[in-house]
Parts: sequence; C-alpha cells; structure tokens
Amino acid sequence: MLRESYPFVEDSFSRFPSQSNIYGLCQAGEQELLAATLKGKVVCFRYQELQHKIRPVAKEVQFTYIPVDAEIVSIDAFNKSPPKRGLVVGITFVKDSGDKATPFLNIYCDYEPGSEFNLESIAQSCLNLELQFTPFHLYHTEVQSDDGGRETVFLLSGHDQRIHLYKENASLHQFEEQPVERLFPELQQLPSNVLWLDMLSIDGGQRLSAFGCQNGCVGLAQVNQTEPEVLQSWMFQFDSPISSVLLFPLSYQTESGENGVEMVGYNLLVTSSIEMAVVYRDVQERGLSHSVCLSESDQWDAVLCALVIDLDFDGQKEVLLGTYGQELLCYKFQPAGRGRDGQFKLQWRRSFKSPLLSIIYLDLTGDGLRELAVLTLKGLHILQHTLPRTADLVLERLSLKVSALTAGSELDSAKEQDTEEKDAPARKGGCTAQTPT
Amino acid sequence: MRSLNYVQRVSLDFAGTLFPHAICLGDADNDSLNELVVGDTKGKLFVYKNDDSKPWVTRTCVGMLTCVAVGDVCNKGKNFVVAVGAEGWFHLFDLTAAAASKSDSSSQHEFMSFEDQKPLFTQHIPANTKVILISDIDGDGRSELVVGYTDRVVRAFRWEEPSEGSEPGSGQLVLLKKWLLEGQVDSLSVNPGPEGLPELMVSQPGCGYAILLCSWTQQDSSSSGEEAPATPGSEGPSRDVVLHVTTGRIHNKNVSTHLIGSISKGSKEESSKCGLFALCTLDGTLKLMDSSEQLLWSVQVDHQLFALQKLDVTGDGREEVVACAWDGQTYIIDHNRTVVRFQFDENVNAFCAGQYTCKEGKNSPCLVYVSFNHKIYIYWKVELERMESTNMLRVLEENPDFKSHLKVLGVDTEDPAAVRAAVANVLYKDSQT
Repeated sequence: MLRESYPFVEDSFSRFPSQSNIYGLCQAGEQELLAATLKGKVVCFRYQELQHKIRPVAKEVQFTYIPVDAEIVSIDAFNKSPPKRGLVVGITFVKDSGDKATPFLNIYCDYEPGSEFNLESIAQSCLNLELQFTPFHLYHTEVQSDDGGRETVFLLSGHDQRIHLYKENASLHQFEEQPVERLFPELQQLPSNVLWLDMLSIDGGQRLSAFGCQNGCVGLAQVNQTEPEVLQSWMFQFDSPISSVLLFPLSYQTESGENGVEMVGYNLLVTSSIEMAVVYRDVQERGLSHSVCLSESDQWDAVLCALVIDLDFDGQKEVLLGTYGQELLCYKFQPAGRGRDGQFKLQWRRSFKSPLLSIIYLDLTGDGLRELAVLTLKGLHILQHTLPRTADLVLERLSLKVSALTAGSELDSAKEQDTEEKDAPARKGGCTAQTPT
Repeated sequence: MRSLNYVQRVSLDFAGTLFPHAICLGDADNDSLNELVVGDTKGKLFVYKNDDSKPWVTRTCVGMLTCVAVGDVCNKGKNFVVAVGAEGWFHLFDLTAAAASKSDSSSQHEFMSFEDQKPLFTQHIPANTKVILISDIDGDGRSELVVGYTDRVVRAFRWEEPSEGSEPGSGQLVLLKKWLLEGQVDSLSVNPGPEGLPELMVSQPGCGYAILLCSWTQQDSSSSGEEAPATPGSEGPSRDVVLHVTTGRIHNKNVSTHLIGSISKGSKEESSKCGLFALCTLDGTLKLMDSSEQLLWSVQVDHQLFALQKLDVTGDGREEVVACAWDGQTYIIDHNRTVVRFQFDENVNAFCAGQYTCKEGKNSPCLVYVSFNHKIYIYWKVELERMESTNMLRVLEENPDFKSHLKVLGVDTEDPAAVRAAVANVLYKDSQT
C-alpha cells in the first residue's frame, strides 16, 4: 500500500454531541461548513482569524423553528444565482412528539440588505413547510428561469417515490413547492425512493442528471435545459440500495503517447451498500453500457460517500470514497494502455476512528488551497494538504509562469506587459472551452 | 482550542493491572531503539518491542511491581532494566543478553533456562516504594537511583562495586540519603538549577514542589565509598528540603500533583541553565516554570490530570508538555501555551509518552495508553507539522520568491483575495467553479 502518497495532515477535529448522517454536511458560503446532528443541533465550522493566527471554530447556530424533539434528516445551502444575492439554507427534520411523527422542511433566507450572508440573521428568518412525506436527500441545482436568467432551486427526495421542487417566488419573497415535471421532466415516475441525486451542466445548454434509488435502481438522463426535454435516458438495476451517484468530467491522454490529445468524457460514479463502486465511462456517448469497477471498494463495508476532486494538482481528478468501515479510499484513473481499458487504481487509504458519512473539499483557511472536510459519526475532521510540499509546488509553478512570461515578452517586446497578463487567463479559458469535444 | 484525532495505533496485549509508574519507554536492550517496559501487580515484567502485540520478553519478579525504569544505573555505559516492588525488592535485569539469544534462533526461546529468566541482581530496600528515577542528581556525571515512597520519604541510592571492572552482579545499592517530606511525593525529576547544576525536584500536593539537596556533595569524600557518606537522620531532614509553593488559585492544597523537569528548550546554550519544568494537578491546573521560579504559563482545564510527560511532537527540538486525564483527554502544550487536544476514547489506567520504535525501524514520538480492558494502545504517529493551525499563504510568505513572482505576474500582493485567487489558479484547473 502506497501510504506515503497520502497527502493530508489532520488540522482539527470537532466532536459533535450526537451523530450525523450522510445528508448532514454542506458548504455554506465561501469558507464555512454547516453540519447537522441528529438531535436538532446545527454546527457552523470555520477558521477564524485572530491576532494574525487562524484557529478552527465550531459554533452551534440557533436556527429557529427547529423544536427540541426534532431529528434532523438533511441540510443543504446555496448562494442565490446572480443577480440575486444571499445565502439560502434548507433543513429537513422530523418532529416526533410521541403519537405521530411530522416531517418539515425549513428554508432560511434573509432579504434584509446587508445581512443576506449573515448566518446569524439568516437563521432567524425561517419559512416552515410541513411535508407529506419522509424527506431524504436535499439537493440544489441551477435552472433556467422563464425570463432567461438563472436560478437555484431545492430538490428534495422523499419516501413517496417522488422528488419535490422548491423554487423562490420572486414577488412573494419566499420559497414554494412547484411541480417538478416542467423543469425536471426526467424526474417523474420514479421506480423507487431516491436516496441520492446529482446533476451536471454540460455543453450545448444541456444537463446530465442521475439518481440512485433505495431498490438499487440507477437512472441517468440527458436533458435539454432551455426547453426542458429528455433527450436520452438510461436505467440500471443494482442489487442493493444506492448510497450515492456522482457525475464528473475526466480528462486523460489518449493512447498515442506524448503528443496524444487530451480527451474529456463525462462519467457517473455509483456507490451501493454491498457491491463495489462502479464508474460508468463516457455516459454521454455510451450511456450505462461501459463500466469500470473500483476494485477493493467493497472491502470496508458499505461505501457511504464519494467525492471526485483533483488532490495532487495534476489536473486529473481522483475518486475518493468514504466507507462505513472507517476507511477513506483514493482511486486514480490509469489511462488505457495498448489493448487495455483504463482503470481506477487504489492509491492510498487512511483509517478513521468512526464511519465516514460525508466529504467536502473546499477552501476553509482562505489561502486558495482547499481542505478536505470529513464528517464521521463522531464529528468533523479537517484534513489539510501537507503545507511545505504544496507551497514548494506553488512556487515552482509560479516561477514557471514567470519564466514563460519573460520569455514571451522578450519575443514580442512590442506588446506591453499588461496585455500579456490579460492574455494568460484568456488562453486558459480557451483551453478549457475546447477540451470537451 | 485546537483538537485533533490520532488514528495510527497498535494495540498490545496486557492482561494484568498496573501501578501508574510501572510503565516506561527506554532502550532496554542497548540497540539504540526504544522498547516499552511494563510491570504488573503480580510481579511480571513485560518488555514490548516494535508493533508486536505479544511481549518480546517476560520476566518474573518478587512482589507487586510499583515502578520500572530503564537506565545506566550501574554506570557501566549500558542500560539495565530496573523493577521495584512495593515490598521493597529491587530487581536488575540485563536484556542485552536476551536480545543476543533471541537473534540466535527464534525457536529456541521457549527452552530458555530458568537461569536466563532470573534477574541479574536483587536486593531488598525499604518497602512501600512508589516512584523511581535513574539520573545524575548531584552533578558528578554518574547516575543515582532515587526512590519515592508512599510514606512521604525519598531515598537516594548509588550503585557501588568492590572494584572497578568486576561483574555487575557483585555490586550493591548503597543508601546515600533519606529525605522526609511534608506531603505525598507523586513524581521525581531532575531539572537544571539557575547555576546549571542538576537539582532533584519532587512534587508536593497543591501544585507545589520541593528541591532536595544532595548534602553529600559538600561533605565529600574522604571515605572510599564503602560506607554511605551521609548518615540519614543525623541532621534534621527539613534542612535539606526546600519547599516551594507556586502562586495562583489553588482550590485544594492537598490535591495530587505531578511534575516533570528538564524540558528541552531546543538550543543547547539555553537549556544548560535554568531548566524548564512543568506541574499538573488532579484538579486540572497545568503550569510551566523555570528553575528561577518564573512562571511561563498556566492553563486551567476541567479534566483530572494524572500523568505528566514531555515529548517533542513538532520535531523542532523543543519539548512539549503532555498531560493526560483519567478519561483519556490528553493535552499537548508548547512553550508559548499553544494547546492541542486529543481524546483517547477510553478511561486510562496508566499513561506515558516518549520515543518508541513501533514501525519503520526508528524511534518516533509515541503516546502510550494502558486501558482497563487488557490492552495497551501505542499511537505511533503523533508528530505534527506545527502546533497552531495555519494556512499556506503564511508558509509561502516566508519565501521571498513568492512575492516577487506575484509582482512579475501582476498580482497585487497586498490584496488577499487576489493572492488567494492566484494560488488557487496555479493549483486547480477548474479554480473558477
């Protein structure tokens, strides 16, 4: 086992008063995390800068209208799509007052100018919706609204085999349930209760949307976004409940060696509770026909959470899996050799003290380098990249950029330095635009 | 307060129960790699090596073992294992031979004769032992053995041999001095005094400590060493005990107190004089002081601290203070009062910290917890890059190239958001999302 390549150092651990679940962690704003625990407590985690030192702070946020006997099911948050401003937090919970359990969705959002991003005041302005179903995964995605602008909406899956859409009513300044069919035609007539949902916008005004069900069914659809219409759809049946589905692009070099073309395809990662995790390759082209198993991923009990990120800064994403068996697994894609398909290889694994429930990768410390937040049954771990090594990499890449810049300006001394600098991001943007072909 | 989780640990089998001082880390077999030595209440001595869950060697002693230590008690330039029982039996083991016989053939060790298992030397010393220390306490460059007793007595012994170069078994312990203290002695330690000479310190209840004077150094030595130069009781014991009471809010002046001295400051010149020592109490007071009685910091926690150790977890040569509570809460505090917490998930029977060779074939800082369910847990990867949380910009800013590169690239180095974006841009391809 290549333990040496484990690139993280634990920076902090916050113990929670009660356990959480796989829907219990979300990013709220740029540098903050919200974690919900079963006994109705929501903890806000961030790094605080004080006297030129930063330190981790986990503070409970008092969200109103969550009764003491509530058990939180899921939490999600998003920033409103521009031009609107503000942070929206959604929390689903079940209030069990003895005779009958009642589920609710609370949506928190402040319209007061100046406090749209202030978590304390957001937590005080609540829209309380009673639900007719037991809630599961609370998800948000961006849709095209009627006037051509973009808008972010909540999608909530329930035990009624349906997915419910909550959209802001601009005139009333509040969220309301709207029929899901019009905006999400792929989410009607579901085969079972959806446990996890994922969507990804792709070129040509299209999106891929995937869902995984309690009965093991995985659905995937390619949808035209502008005039919602299902272009293609696929289904596949697994033998056990699906714990997560994740759509991600993956770029890799093709066979023809050094001067090979960089290829990008869209992939679907499916993790289920007893089977191996599977990646469906090039789903846009081949649907659910071409699959690659992540070997050994079934060795540490059920895989509960997954994340696809670029951990080693080489531009190619790695697959992270968190298991109930207290292991974090990292897989890296090995491109196809001659006559051999590309494979995902286990790079390293790391043990934790309790089962892993959810993982997020974000910049908590405000330095441009992202940290890995791991929610386990006992609390929240923040794993930071080994700083000296990463700092060396940054310096190396900066000096490469500098030398490229000076070389460029020597060649074309007529150009002013300013335009060269403006050129750099533009070139980069052009590069990413042409790759997904 | 920063808190984190260590996960890389090995568990060792240990069926017995033990006294809190009957555990130590040291190089028992003189191979420059440290072993874990544990003595139980039935008189068994176990030595664990590497990540093997079974003891590497087991020895039988007389009586309940209350304290064990590893050190050059005979001043022969090699380490011996010392185990002392409550009844006063002192046992000396030479495990260097055991290492040799083990490496000869691993299958043969079951037939190891009774002779091999026996201690090299035993002697009866006064009973009711509680804690021992092997160290040079009088500054003569030779180690002494100091024993603390449950009846508030401390005795110092020296290993004497009839002639130089004889067999170690032919020598014996000779009493140097006896001190009588007012309160219970929970720990013994040596700390460089203001003049740089070692001072023997013992903890006293209520976050106090006493310095025990080695009077034999003044009267020295017309005698050849056959007799103890100082006769205990001939002069008032209180004269040689200098009691110090630390200031501050002490809730209970009888509260059990631990002490550790000679905490390394990193650089050689500094540590030679005015040594640092730390105190902790069962009601949660932690203090770091130097030998001129200056208080460096004081921390109050709401856990019952029962063990105090020192360990360099950051690898900068400065040793951090490590204190452990009965419920497993462990505090690692550096000289600037930066605290890192770690919660061991069980109640702790005994705790120690130090260098141990677990995996990878070299000594590394380790935390050792003896639980109440027949296991000893060694956390073998406890090194930290730093005590405080930091971010990469602070690391980068130490390098002057960073700013100059950014300037060339036209990034405003005074604007944190721009610097942050520049860093994200070189690391991540999709940094816009």
